[in-house]
Amino acid sequence: MIRFILADLRRLWAGAVVVVLLVALATALGVTVTLQERALRLGSARAADKFDLVIGAAGSETQLVLSSIFLQPAPLPLMPGEVLAKLSKDPRVVWVAPVGFGDSFAGYPLVGTTRALIGSTVSGFAEGRLFEKEGEAVVGAAVKLPLGAEIKPMHGTAQMGGETHAGVVYQVTGKLPPTGTPWDRAILVPIQAVWHVHGLGHDHDHEQDEHHEGEALQVTQAAAVTDEHGHSPLEAAREHAGDHRHEGEAPAAGVRDTHADEDHDHHGAIDADADIDEDFAADAPGLPAVLVKPKTIADAYKLRQEYRKGNTLAVFPGEVLTSLYATLGDAKMVLSAVAAGSQGLVAAALVLVTVTHIGQRRRQIGALRAFGAPRLSVFAIVWLELFLLVALGIGLGFLTGLAAAQMIANAFTVKSGIILPVGFTGEDLRMALILLSASAVLSAVPAILAYRQSPAAALRA
Amino acid sequence: MLSLHLDNLAKSFPGLGSPVLRVDFLTIGAGERVAVTGGSGSGKSTFINIVTGLERPTSGKVAWSDEDITRLSETARDRWRAEHIGLIMQDFHLFPGLSAVENVLLPARLARVADASLIARAHDLLKGVGLSRPDQRIETMSRGEMQRVAIARAVLRKPGVIVADEPTASLDAEAGETVGRLLLDMAGETGSTLIVVSHDQRLIDRLDRRITLGAGRIVADSLREEAAA
Repeated sequence: MIRFILADLRRLWAGAVVVVLLVALATALGVTVTLQERALRLGSARAADKFDLVIGAAGSETQLVLSSIFLQPAPLPLMPGEVLAKLSKDPRVVWVAPVGFGDSFAGYPLVGTTRALIGSTVSGFAEGRLFEKEGEAVVGAAVKLPLGAEIKPMHGTAQMGGETHAGVVYQVTGKLPPTGTPWDRAILVPIQAVWHVHGLGHDHDHEQDEHHEGEALQVTQAAAVTDEHGHSPLEAAREHAGDHRHEGEAPAAGVRDTHADEDHDHHGAIDADADIDEDFAADAPGLPAVLVKPKTIADAYKLRQEYRKGNTLAVFPGEVLTSLYATLGDAKMVLSAVAAGSQGLVAAALVLVTVTHIGQRRRQIGALRAFGAPRLSVFAIVWLELFLLVALGIGLGFLTGLAAAQMIANAFTVKSGIILPVGFTGEDLRMALILLSASAVLSAVPAILAYRQSPAAALRA
Repeated sequence: MLSLHLDNLAKSFPGLGSPVLRVDFLTIGAGERVAVTGGSGSGKSTFINIVTGLERPTSGKVAWSDEDITRLSETARDRWRAEHIGLIMQDFHLFPGLSAVENVLLPARLARVADASLIARAHDLLKGVGLSRPDQRIETMSRGEMQRVAIARAVLRKPGVIVADEPTASLDAEAGETVGRLLLDMAGETGSTLIVVSHDQRLIDRLDRRITLGAGRIVADSLREEAAA
């Protein structure tokens, strides 16, 4: 029987190939959507894994997580530096690390942070050592820079029309092992250096004297409303106000305007050989976010509660991601519906094709019966022939879907640094079984037609 | 070897006024060799379909050696036909993509009765009909060769009856001659009853009896000796 089916398929190979490809494409579409959505969920959850609690200025929770954990360049409001000082003395905190961003180099985001953060989130170095001076930098595993390379940071990103900071050069002293997070693509520098580059944390009189560096003002909208720290002039004003008189005293409108105008004056240079001071005082400059490692889960909840008041916002990244996944789930549902629709169409087309095909083969089927082939054999031949093609298509579809999802995931990893774990699970096995049984039922339609056909009538046709 | 009794047989199709076949009484003895002739529309095909159990008559009895096949279910008739009838048709109905011997064995394989001895018999039969390459693909053969493969397929399971529908009509004279001779030889060898629908006078002349159909009825039934006399 198998030989007969194979001979038949060999004869009709072109049609068979088309059927297999159609089924494979329709299956692959659905599989890719499922795999990709799951990979995105797992990958982002893993990326956020190391960060228990993120505290930033009051604003969007989602943006806070996207910027601090996924290093997405976007303007974030700043919170007063005293928060950092308070947290570093808090007994419920294992470590706390500021993150400052906004600059980039060669497409890699520059993140100002502390040795505490690096030391406690990664185990060891792939090469080199941690930064020890203000002018040193550590690069993530996916950053293609050798040890000793020089980094000249740029405001914002090149796409946003950013400009290079004059006279600021970091030297790469170490490379981190891969973590599968966006931080693999980051260049980590001392937060102190970021402050200094942007004219913060120094003596303020000295700062005001500094020469305007001639920043072009015709920058894109995003860059225009965002200064080098990634915050709007409004917040910049608030921040500067905070620098002078501490947070809580809202600056007068006039003061705000002045500071906004003067924004570009606040540029500094770093002292490459200066020692790093990570003992944050209450008058530390404003910060977009701090990452906090609480001692216990109870502490985590207490801290979150405490810092959700007033002008700070504390979030569990996992919690924020969960609400993002809900959105992702909706998108997946739409895509799955599209995929299911295409599968339905292919199924309908297949039934049409095979019913026509059975019509053309009536004589052959009639002859088989006339020569004494049992009806069940005829049924089995027609059913098996179609089912084999469809099953092959489904199998190919799953492989194609896996390959496609893997390709998309790789492209995503290159862009974002987040490793997306693409792989099949029991859920996919169930899906495959459902698809296979559906196609088994579907293949029975032409087989039943063939089974019910009278051999004499078929031969007369 | 089976004998046939037809009793009050009628076959009509809905929408047609008179039955396409009406046989009040007919017997064909076991081992007899009968030619069935008649113009187109005379009911020959219906006759073949009914005696082989491919179609059920509207009324009447079709008894092969006392077994009334009209009472069998469709599945049982398929099984009965596979066992007792060797069918040969004008356009062969061989299956492309398979070799000669695979074609001979196909119905037996589908019925799950092809054992080693049957496979050996298939090879012998192909030799017997003068084909030396059992593994030759069927679509590469000439029409005469194809019909010889069809004969081998028909007699594989030593059927009690061989029914041939215009076996030589699509062949040239020489191939037709060979096929006609093989048909008689094979029937003789297995002792099968032979029913041949044909217009081929040379083939008809070789058979013992000639039944002529016209407008669905038997209009003449003669033994050859009588005709010659």
